[in-house]
Amino acid sequence: MSDEPVPVRPVWRHDFPYEAAAEDEVTRREFTRYLVLGAGAMAAGNVGIAVWTQLRSINTGEPRPIVALADVPVGETYLFRYPSDDDPAILLRLGDRDVVAFSQKCTHLGCVVFYESELERWHCPCHEGNFETRSGRVISGPPPRPLGRIEVEPRDDGQIWALGRTV
Amino acid sequence: MNVVQRGRRTSSALAVYVIILVAFQVFLITVAVEAFVTDEEGLAWATAAVSVVVAAGAALFLRWLRP
Repeated sequence: MSDEPVPVRPVWRHDFPYEAAAEDEVTRREFTRYLVLGAGAMAAGNVGIAVWTQLRSINTGEPRPIVALADVPVGETYLFRYPSDDDPAILLRLGDRDVVAFSQKCTHLGCVVFYESELERWHCPCHEGNFETRSGRVISGPPPRPLGRIEVEPRDDGQIWALGRTV
Repeated sequence: MNVVQRGRRTSSALAVYVIILVAFQVFLITVAVEAFVTDEEGLAWATAAVSVVVAAGAALFLRWLRP
């Protein structure tokens, strides 16, 4: 007679004594091997993302005139597209020659932000995100980072020029 | 607890560790994507380095796992 322990079967096995054809085919080691392969694939993906982040070129835009300074009253905004036609942007004239401009895409989920003059802040109505007027920094709400800033300056030709965008 | 049971428990614990490491890898993917969106190269490379180390750790656990 053998001394090997007899495997204990669970009670439900006695009540429902069926056997599935493939139920014993995946061992713990095989299952873990698939997990490790998955982890390796994700590590490779992470390295790929890092390489892509390093090598890609971002369109920060070329300097170009946006609008005549005289066409934007103090305290008013002007909508334009920069650096490409797919990038909505908004300009605010704060003083005589004091202008700021930002990407109009909220950094939360890409909704359009607008200026609330009475509260002096950029506001995203989708999820109540708010940004500081001059810096575009997040004041409140879910946005994780500041608005994309567009460097602008009024020049002697009477135009407001966009000089480039920071990510 | 006999040797067979102890070995089986250790083996199960290692498998759970690997599952946790894979879950951590999913988190690292989200961090990498965030770094890509915000163009933070340093964060992207740091995330990739941690991810490779975690994958190597998971592979190490697999070596210890009983057949």
